[in-house]
Amino acid sequence: MIEVSDLNIRFGRGAAAIHAVRDASFSVAEGESYGIVGESGSGKSTILRALAGLIDAWTGTMTIDGHDLGLRRSKAARKLLQMVFQDPYGSLHPRRTVNDTLREPLSIHGFDAVDERIVRALTEVGLGREFRFRFPHQLSGGQRQRIAIARALILEPRVVLLDEPTSALDVSVQAEILNLLVRLRQVHGLTYLMVSHDLAVVGHLCSRIAVMNRGAIIEETSDEAMRTGAMRHAYTKQLWVASKGYDADALSAMVEFE
Amino acid sequence: MSEKPLIEVEDLWVRFRTPKGVVEAVRGIDFTLGRERLGIVGESGSGKSQTGRALLRLTSGNGSISAKRMEFDGIDLLNADKKTLYGIRGNRISMIMQDPKYSLNPVMTVGSQIAEAYRIHATASASKARDKAMNMLDAVRIREPEKVYKLYPHQVSGGMGQRIMIAMMLIPNPQVLIADEPTSALDVTVQMQVLALLDDMVRKNGMGLILVSHDLNLVASFCDQVLVMYGGQIMERLAAKDLHKAQHPYTRGLLNCLPRVDGSHEALPVLERDPAWLEQQGGRS
Repeated sequence: MIEVSDLNIRFGRGAAAIHAVRDASFSVAEGESYGIVGESGSGKSTILRALAGLIDAWTGTMTIDGHDLGLRRSKAARKLLQMVFQDPYGSLHPRRTVNDTLREPLSIHGFDAVDERIVRALTEVGLGREFRFRFPHQLSGGQRQRIAIARALILEPRVVLLDEPTSALDVSVQAEILNLLVRLRQVHGLTYLMVSHDLAVVGHLCSRIAVMNRGAIIEETSDEAMRTGAMRHAYTKQLWVASKGYDADALSAMVEFE
Repeated sequence: MSEKPLIEVEDLWVRFRTPKGVVEAVRGIDFTLGRERLGIVGESGSGKSQTGRALLRLTSGNGSISAKRMEFDGIDLLNADKKTLYGIRGNRISMIMQDPKYSLNPVMTVGSQIAEAYRIHATASASKARDKAMNMLDAVRIREPEKVYKLYPHQVSGGMGQRIMIAMMLIPNPQVLIADEPTSALDVTVQMQVLALLDDMVRKNGMGLILVSHDLNLVASFCDQVLVMYGGQIMERLAAKDLHKAQHPYTRGLLNCLPRVDGSHEALPVLERDPAWLEQQGGRS
């Protein structure tokens, strides 16, 4: 469903140029849930943003459902792929109601039966129709993220890009949102590409996981390896140990990876 | 813990006047802090951050604090005058806030902010303060401290800003550090390095640390004691190493809804909350 090969992304020029993504290649099958983990600055979100068409400065090839993604996207290509962002406080327009937020993509893409679709989208993400005319400030963080998911799904995309969708939420709310994402994927046969720094979250939602460090994918591992700690690359192993909690002994054994 | 605790709190209440009536953010909690690592965990709105702020009387204008006792090293924090508080805040009790974006001065280089923090609390020459600041940047694992010293807050990443905040708060060598989600913006490996630094301060300098966090695994692995808060009350207090054996349904719920690195893909249990928990305690435990 998603094919990325030899993706390179550079920002800036001359001496200040940053090579944010280096020769990244991966492919995601239809209906699969694929994760990318890495520390901040590793380039994981940059890949998502390039796929979503939010970054122009890339080279390489990216295809979705067999169609090449160019610098200019057709409406159909945009509809195929939707994104949920990290911060539900920043990703919803503060002066638009939930109804406005959900209606706009429908009218852009010329959907019919707008009212039914809005109500159905709200029900799907576990919110009732009473939320339809609320403003974002009248919603909790978890409810906002549900609206952001509804906004992405209302166009009936086949690929959903998830950029740290639960990192701004409480653990209890995180569990609800993760459960919702799992259920929606099953119901609609969606393909997920999820980025997170949290190995446990990625291991929970995804079956294959790419590990990034300093712009490069250093290893592709599986949910099974995440459970047992049977990963090949020492960097992944170190991340895995660190994510288990504070351990002074493990810390002294840690090294920097270039 | 045979020696006298650094902080003793008895029946602390924090109330806010709002247009919709009085909100009780913290409802009659007791705790003591020795030269140890105390973790406070809970969801947003559980009152964990307000507990930390109340200790320094930093509760915002529409809030009021009351307590039977709130003492630091024999000083009554509740009735201390402004002058006494100025002598304590930042100097003897320091606080790391959650968000570096709002806590750093945007028009001063980060290095000079750290040096300033040192010179406010200790008499030192500008060059000594500079050296001290440079050492501190190094201690919080910032690569190339000379380069970072001259940067402005908008030029550093969130994680680096957080470490700069930590450097600034640790430079006066406080007796008590209140850290409100100090590592939430950091990568796991850097997070561990910063925790190791805090750990050193507790072990070597006998500092008392209050770590406010929503990350149960982190608190379980790092702290000595843990308070679990819900609805402004302490639901359960236990030794951190026993956190995974917690009995209270709220603590259990919080632990169970975390996805685990070694867990399966099964649906996560959703946290159940029971208002009766708040009644049982009746304000005091």
